Amino acid sequence: MSGRRSRQSGGGSRISDDQIIDLVSKLQQLIPEIRSRRSEKVSASKVLQETCNYIRNLHREVDDLSERLSQLLATIDTDSPEAAIIRSLIM
Amino acid sequence: MPPSSIEKAFLKKWLKGLQALSSSSSSSTSKKEMSIFERKKAIKLSADVAMASLKNGTTSWSRALIQNASKDDNNRTLLKNMLGSQCDEKLSRGPTTTSMMCSMRVRSKRVLRRSCRWRRVRKITKDQRVHAGSMAKRLVKKRTQVLRSLVPGGEYMDEYSLFEETLDYIMSLRAQVDVMRRLANASEFSSKS
Repeated sequence: MSGRRSRQSGGGSRISDDQIIDLVSKLQQLIPEIRSRRSEKVSASKVLQETCNYIRNLHREVDDLSERLSQLLATIDTDSPEAAIIRSLIM
Repeated sequence: MPPSSIEKAFLKKWLKGLQALSSSSSSSTSKKEMSIFERKKAIKLSADVAMASLKNGTTSWSRALIQNASKDDNNRTLLKNMLGSQCDEKLSRGPTTTSMMCSMRVRSKRVLRRSCRWRRVRKITKDQRVHAGSMAKRLVKKRTQVLRSLVPGGEYMDEYSLFEETLDYIMSLRAQVDVMRRLANASEFSSKS
């Protein structure tokens, strides 16, 4: 293992173990599924698994919402007063 | 909760994309005849591109998303309307970043494997250490591969960048979903009244 380490150093910025672990813990905090269990040790593979599930869920939501909107907006002209109301409701 | 500035900027760009969509075919009767499926694809694409363009090319995932979208000729008009003159500039940035990332890939892979083995080791006996360590390695490798397939441009990133990009990508997706949901709810509300 130490052999590998010496080969890595030299030239450019070295990515440290701490940086990777820091990123993994940031991901952990971001994912609702495992955020509450922050006090426990959560393995990297668990974090990755939950991250993938989370992204898949978000993709599905985007898809479902696009479906919903295509049905709703089909009847609304973007220049119409309804569209203006919608815009003001969200802003 | 009031929309954040990112959400507002996203909505603006997204609506611009949607407007360009309907106005491009307003002269012909095809506007009303656009199927729900086609409309859905257009809504989704405008939303994805709008969110990606807000990054102004500062993240790999956003560049990859736009690049992938531009590969389909059907999307040309939409992309041109949404991105304007920035379009070509964004597409040309791809290859340089890729080669840079690839060179870092091997180094960080080893670092990640070591850090994951370190976490697992604490929980188990000395005898099992070797087996659990290699199993954990394999699991992490497998799941990292899955993550690569979910993040735009993930296949070309080294592991460190992949995680960084994932964080940013998730934040953007959440904002995107938030705004889309609000619009859908508002539209439903107004159509019922």
